[in-house]
Amino acid sequence: MYGPENAELTVHTKRGGAAAKAGHDLTILVERWNATYEGGDLVFEADSRSLRVIDGSGGITSLGDAEKAAISETIDEEVLKGTPITYRGGELTLNGVTRPVAFTFDGTEGRAAVKQTDFKIKPYSALFGTLKVADVVEVKVRTRNG
Amino acid sequence: MVELNHSFSTGKDTDYNWDAVLDLDRLIPCVEGGKVLERESDEKAKAEIKVKMGAMSMTFRGTVEVTSRDDAAKTAVFAVRSKDTGGSGYANADVTFDISGDGGAINTQAKISGKAASMGEGVVQTVLDAMIKDFTTKLAKI
Repeated sequence: MYGPENAELTVHTKRGGAAAKAGHDLTILVERWNATYEGGDLVFEADSRSLRVIDGSGGITSLGDAEKAAISETIDEEVLKGTPITYRGGELTLNGVTRPVAFTFDGTEGRAAVKQTDFKIKPYSALFGTLKVADVVEVKVRTRNG
Repeated sequence: MVELNHSFSTGKDTDYNWDAVLDLDRLIPCVEGGKVLERESDEKAKAEIKVKMGAMSMTFRGTVEVTSRDDAAKTAVFAVRSKDTGGSGYANADVTFDISGDGGAINTQAKISGKAASMGEGVVQTVLDAMIKDFTTKLAKI
């Protein structure tokens, strides 16, 4: 069984749009989740209210703690709205939509690519649409030694 | 320097549009994030614009002034002179309105420096274009 106590689950977003330079690539930590293998099949669930922005690279000004907190709040209140996140039988349920998503895990590190629009999530945009979060976000899990 | 041309339509008559555009208390809030801080005269106001970039934002504060107007031709030039409150940059623009029919034409000549300009002139032009297009949709309801 895996969870925050023995592994780190992060979501990585990239910037897009003409004004991408103004934005930040985010690293978002999922603070409450657990995963088990049932008969070789990964079963995973996460609390969508536990996503917290921990790092932002790029941008024309650096991302401070207040901005990180504001983005975490936006994810919670405007994007995921507390909807359950589960993965079972190769299918991810996110934002009330269930679709197959490939997940690879080598025993130490796991990765999945999630396309937001596949799950009826409109990628966040600002600056009159010239700055937006790229549709595909990368999910990574890394187990801790010991 | 970035130069952009746009048009707008309100569906209302020329006299209405001319009066509306020249009223800074009505015109300035049509810019997303824009507000009048203090009206100095009929043709000059202290104002600020807060440009939101997601969780980040930049605030430019300064003046908007009608520097020339031709009531017969219904053309007016607005000078925007503002400084970035969080840095050393500035955003200046001369915006010419040419009112005719049920709307008008807007010519914008802008000069931006500092952090915003560090995105590059092409990006500044794209963002300004998107910003002014948004402005014209709000002008349509002025």
